Amino acid sequence: MATIIDLKDITVTFKNKASTVHAVQDVSLQVEAGDTYGIVGYSGAGKSTLVRVINYLQKPTSGTAIVNGQALGKLDKDQLRVARRKIGMIFQHFNLMNSRTIAGNIEYPLRYSKLTKAGRAKKVQELLALVGLSDKADAYPAQLSGGQKQRVGIARALANDPEILLCDEATSALDPKTTGEIIDLLKRLNQQLHITIVFITHEMSAVKSLCNHVAVMEAGKIVERGALLDIFSNPQQALTRDFINTATQLDTALAEVRKQPAVINLPANARLVHLSYTGASTDQPLIAGLYQQYGITANILYGNIEFLQDVPVGNLIVILTGDTTKLPTAFSQLRDQGVTVTLLDPKGDAVD
Amino acid sequence: MSILNKFLPNVMPIWDQVWQATLETLYMTFFSAIIAGILGLIVGILLVVYDQGGIMPHPAVYSILDKIVNIFRSIPFVILLAVIYPLTRLLVHTTIGNTAALVPLVVGTIPFYARQVQNALVQVDGGIIEAAQAMGASNIDIIFRVYLREGLPDLIRVSVLTLISLIGLTAMAGAVGAGGLGNLAVSIGYQRFQNDVTFVAMIIILIMVFIVQGVGDWLTRLTTHV
Repeated sequence: MATIIDLKDITVTFKNKASTVHAVQDVSLQVEAGDTYGIVGYSGAGKSTLVRVINYLQKPTSGTAIVNGQALGKLDKDQLRVARRKIGMIFQHFNLMNSRTIAGNIEYPLRYSKLTKAGRAKKVQELLALVGLSDKADAYPAQLSGGQKQRVGIARALANDPEILLCDEATSALDPKTTGEIIDLLKRLNQQLHITIVFITHEMSAVKSLCNHVAVMEAGKIVERGALLDIFSNPQQALTRDFINTATQLDTALAEVRKQPAVINLPANARLVHLSYTGASTDQPLIAGLYQQYGITANILYGNIEFLQDVPVGNLIVILTGDTTKLPTAFSQLRDQGVTVTLLDPKGDAVD
Repeated sequence: MSILNKFLPNVMPIWDQVWQATLETLYMTFFSAIIAGILGLIVGILLVVYDQGGIMPHPAVYSILDKIVNIFRSIPFVILLAVIYPLTRLLVHTTIGNTAALVPLVVGTIPFYARQVQNALVQVDGGIIEAAQAMGASNIDIIFRVYLREGLPDLIRVSVLTLISLIGLTAMAGAVGAGGLGNLAVSIGYQRFQNDVTFVAMIIILIMVFIVQGVGDWLTRLTTHV
């Protein structure tokens, strides 16, 4: 597959009299055509600034952005406007025009297309059908729910048949159920139209269900990136683990687990352990193996198996009880089997 | 009619003058509103687009426009009437009458309306402007098809406000020789102690204001889709 977005050494610095803010620092990012690329970070991490470099709403202080084969920095104003029509964008607060009907909002970007009036009306109908809002053509944005507004935003962004769809916190203002519906729609569009999606969010759970690649941003830099499955099964950075634990609800589970009497009164020959494993490891009888080989018993306090891009990813919080001399050997054998073993402090944070 | 004669003894013989004064006030209001409206709208739009964070930020131009608007807004209208008369003479070759009054009315209204337009248009959600830019809209397109359209209800509201204040200014201009209802109220009603004339002039101006307000409210409702 071809690289459709190629950001090289992008730096964005905001200067005013009082201070200088390095919003994005020396970031390079390649996105392949057809990818669903998630960029995760807390607010202020620079992800919204970075995504605006992709359509040059934000001109970088230094670095080059090659999008759809064009170096955006070399285009004049008019060429840039034409280039932007092939890069759709949706927003956290939808940004629909209140004075126009839904059909009017979707038709707005078609002004520059070569379609006739009838052709535009037909295109609007098709787009409305695509996002499931055919009956709302004559409504005004104020009459729609948040999820419906975002569908209109998506239809509008797709009006000029873009190659890329930039999503800036597109589900952050929506409730979990609506978020799921919008994610499903984006997934379907990615599959049907082969549109490349760049999805900015602070919710790893949204990335988990939509994206095939993920980058984690902090303080203007990408601290970790990779295929979704690799990141989820083997996160390297503490921040990444943070996001993943929130997404898998492992952190809330752990907080509950720590309130259990079995954990509070943890005996000396017992360990509170987090086991996570991906794909093939889930087929092996881990727990039974521990008992047979080492006489170690497992008390499962929390368990969760999810499918990320059809690959099972499991997370267990267990109390392992047995001979304290055998425990380390058991752990290393688990690790050899591809299981990530993390010893947990029964009272505080994870200890590695 | 006898009741009218009883309560409006001084008005009844001069109805034609009252009517004439009303037409003069309408004339001054209408033409100064058109001219100041167009010029004020342009200045207001420039203030929005050149502002820091506008679609064509230009600190120097913005700063100059901003200061000019502030200075002219600070001049009391009565003084502006007097100060500006050389310009009036230059433009219309006279300093008295309705047409001469248009000059100070327009000059006094432009900065007021420009600031009002600016305040109305900055209400337009920056996110909507950004969305239009992301869709590849040109600046001209954003001004006419986003700012002016999205800001229309607010524009109508500030236009009504300006128009009402303009009607008030025509009365003040009338007092210094421009004609119209202000002139009628002062030179006949006030100076000859004919209070009924003053009263009638006031009522007619109030009716104008109510009509402008009513039409404005109706238009605002028509253009608001919230």
